[in-house]
Amino acid sequence: MAAQTLNSSMQPTDVYGGDEVSAIVLDPGYSSVRAGFAGEDAPKSFVNSHYGATPDGRLIFGDNAIHNPQANLEIRNPMSKEGIVEDWDTATSLWEYAITSRLTSFKQADPRHNGLNDDNKDLEMEMEAVEEGEKALEEHPLLMTETAWNSVKNRERSIEIAMESWGCPAFWLARNCVMAAFGSGKATALVVDVGASTASVIGIHDGLILKKSVQRSNLGGNWLSSQLRSLFASQDPKVELIPHYMIASKTPVDAGAPAQAIYRKYEKEPSESFRALEEERVLTEFKESVVQVWSGPGRLNSMNATGSNNLDYARSQPGRVFEFPDGANQMWGVERLTVAEGMWDEKAALPVPNEQPGTKMTIPEMVKASISAVDMDLRAHLLQNIVVTGGTTLVNGFTDRLNNELMAMYPGARIKIQAAGLTAERRFGSWIGGSILGSLGTFHQMWISKAEYQEFGASVVEKRCK
Amino acid sequence: MSSHDVRDMLDLPGDAPRPAKKQKIAAPRPVLKGLAREVQNLSGDNPIAIVPEVTVFKKRRFATRKPAAKWELKPFKNSARNEDSLILRHWRRKTEAPPAPVAEDGNGEPSAPQPASEIEDSTFAKFNVKVQTPKYDDEQYNTKLQSEDWSREETDYLMDLVQEYDLRWPVIWDRYEYEPPTPQMDVDVAVGAIIPAQKVRTMEDMKARYYSIAATMMKLNKPPELMNAAEFSLLELMHQFNPNQEAARKKFAEAAFHRTKEEAREEESLLLELKRILARSEKLTQERRELYSRLEAPHSQGNIGVYTSSQGLQQLLQQLMTADKTKKRRSLMGADGMSPAGPSNLHQQGSFDRRDSTNRESMSGPSGNNNKKGPSQGISERRQLTADEEKMYGVKHLDRITSSGPAFRHEKISKPITSKSSIQQQKIGNVLTELRISQRLRMPTEEVGKQFEILLQNINGLLDQRKLADKLAGEINVAKAVKAEREKKGRAERGEPEPGDEDGEGGAGAGDGQIKMEDGGREKSAAPSIRAGSVHKRSASVMSGVSDKSTKRQKK
Repeated sequence: MAAQTLNSSMQPTDVYGGDEVSAIVLDPGYSSVRAGFAGEDAPKSFVNSHYGATPDGRLIFGDNAIHNPQANLEIRNPMSKEGIVEDWDTATSLWEYAITSRLTSFKQADPRHNGLNDDNKDLEMEMEAVEEGEKALEEHPLLMTETAWNSVKNRERSIEIAMESWGCPAFWLARNCVMAAFGSGKATALVVDVGASTASVIGIHDGLILKKSVQRSNLGGNWLSSQLRSLFASQDPKVELIPHYMIASKTPVDAGAPAQAIYRKYEKEPSESFRALEEERVLTEFKESVVQVWSGPGRLNSMNATGSNNLDYARSQPGRVFEFPDGANQMWGVERLTVAEGMWDEKAALPVPNEQPGTKMTIPEMVKASISAVDMDLRAHLLQNIVVTGGTTLVNGFTDRLNNELMAMYPGARIKIQAAGLTAERRFGSWIGGSILGSLGTFHQMWISKAEYQEFGASVVEKRCK
Repeated sequence: MSSHDVRDMLDLPGDAPRPAKKQKIAAPRPVLKGLAREVQNLSGDNPIAIVPEVTVFKKRRFATRKPAAKWELKPFKNSARNEDSLILRHWRRKTEAPPAPVAEDGNGEPSAPQPASEIEDSTFAKFNVKVQTPKYDDEQYNTKLQSEDWSREETDYLMDLVQEYDLRWPVIWDRYEYEPPTPQMDVDVAVGAIIPAQKVRTMEDMKARYYSIAATMMKLNKPPELMNAAEFSLLELMHQFNPNQEAARKKFAEAAFHRTKEEAREEESLLLELKRILARSEKLTQERRELYSRLEAPHSQGNIGVYTSSQGLQQLLQQLMTADKTKKRRSLMGADGMSPAGPSNLHQQGSFDRRDSTNRESMSGPSGNNNKKGPSQGISERRQLTADEEKMYGVKHLDRITSSGPAFRHEKISKPITSKSSIQQQKIGNVLTELRISQRLRMPTEEVGKQFEILLQNINGLLDQRKLADKLAGEINVAKAVKAEREKKGRAERGEPEPGDEDGEGGAGAGDGQIKMEDGGREKSAAPSIRAGSVHKRSASVMSGVSDKSTKRQKK
């Protein structure tokens, strides 16, 4: 970040606002959990939100373990499709894993007592064990993020976990969109956050979300994946999506030719959920390397200035080749643009049952709705401070398209989009903001201390973290 | 025994030796040689990101023989927090002489109640600021702050929000979710029906309410007479808050916000045009003022007598020409002699007009008319005028300047009048008013000027004639008187009785007198009849007819 190296002989010219108290920032999302120390520029711990559950009740966390094709390994996710926690017990364990595996020196207690393997019948004993044993975060204040539409119950639950289970000395619950804005150095911004499960547009004024401006839809990375599946199914011949673990070996084939691969044989096939997870990894790769957003001007299906269809123009552009794990490869031309078009133009979305975007759910429409729900005097300011964050926004051409759509929508206003250039900064935008906030000297007066929690109970979070 | 006492005993300075920290941070700047030092010096105080070439790896560190700095995890509290129970810890450089060497690294807590008082306060506590919102009690509310629109509960709710969000109105408006307290008695349907539905408060409503309360409380706490300027202006500002105007402004802003691209572009171009016009009009008025001041300059100096004669004018012309030549402007003679002061100015204006009018005509041409006249008049290289236009604008081509030199056209009109004596002037004026013609022509075109000249000549003639007529009448009267005197004398000599004989000569005498009277009456009535005639007949030709009559009369 610093443009110049400071050596010890030089005093910093301006006031250094940081005051690091080794706070931990935890930023859970649908696809991954980010955790790390406040003040660092990237999360040290990055854990897949999916976890494996074996039939005997063991839970397996982390990318190193869950991609192992075991029979009977069920892959689940503690988060709901809306990006909020559904399964609190597992989420707690998952987060604890994310924190303890990389950050704190806390050693996992004896597996018989650490609560990970217990089932509910001996809950009391588990509680006792936790009471007795060391707690994960006794030395570290915890800054946790949440979505803007988190329920009151969930918020109270998170402070309970932090205070009771982990023994944090201090806690704070921040909105991830606000953190993303902070990460871009803005206190007032319109945050366009497109993650795995949801896409949201939220106006923020002076670090406080404007509740009326919260707009969200499911047009995130998962929706894009289902678009891809739909695209693959509609291809002729149909494109088979075979994940890596099923391939023993493959031989190169020409583009469009059927794959020649030797498949692995399993005595007992891994579960459907495992296959879905692995397929998702291939799709992620596809999204990263092939999918592109038509960057405008205009929509993909609309006419351009010269009177010809944008689609025709897109067809004339060179395609990209993608090789699937089984070796089958083909050139993807205009299709790589059409799959993402549904995010901008609901009519262009490929047909997927139950996932058709509504008219008000596309990203430009959400921005429009969000902007119109804030005070008039704030609108121009927000449009000048649009922060784009979230992993799915890394799809090629996303920010260009957003810019073009907004320019067409608000011709009189000045549009300025702030999108981090570095991949990590875009993916971990909200974590980075949390890292900045948690290491600020002026923030320490905000923490909800343990004493406050004991005095007011879990409802204090509703009162303080607004 | 406090740490202070320990320090006293050990003869240590009163406070923790903080400055030592700074000294340590400021390690000596690496000694650079040759070019590297010069480059480093170029940057002055702001270090530039040039990594100096270090030839010896790690040697210097040992050479300084300085022990590694010690750091410790120091607890601190933040006094900006409402309660001070939260103690966080951060790494700080260990001070040289630990005041109380009781701290044990093992159990983390610096231990003992004694250092508890020493837990330092966060240096960031001072940044904690809160806005002041007005506070009121029941009595004040009931006497001063009642409002028909706002209940006490809702007002309290608003004030709480304002305090909570530090006057951030967009947020307050966003989070405003006031629910009127549900009535206790559900049985009473009538009361339930009266309770108004939840009102949608606009930001202007809230602001208006808050500002009115704040202003009232401010006045209550401190009478306006005692306020200082800043406070008073704040009070004024709060009093002047007009929610309707504010709402209208927002509506307007919203309309502007939803402009289409074309509208935005059009407005932009219009604004540009307006700016240009304003700049131009400013220039124009300035030029006009300059022109006026130049024209009026002789008047203001008072003595215009010098310039009334043709000689004087010539002199003035010479002066202006020399002044012009020094300015390297086009000579005055080239101009058409319309106005001696004008051409140089016109020329300047003309050239600038030409430049402007080319790019103006493409845009639009309000005030374009005005400009075209300037260049067409002034300079010979302008486009040729047609005969009609020349007539219209009064352009004259003279072979040579007349003996009197160039003159204003209006002088041609005023000169015949002003050259006369003041009595004469008055007389002319009287005639003109009789004719209902103003002395100053309203539209002094060439044509009108000529006619006016003719009229003036005729008036002069008329006046001369009248004067002559008066003179002759006077002479006749004198002659008659003389004659009467003579007759009287003759009668006296003849011894005839004078007035006594009424029947004889007396009758004749009376008849004579009557004739005389008649004569005089006729003479006198002649003038009014002329006057009456002239009043009714205005044209110059009729006037000349009248003057003919008067001459005839004179001959008689």
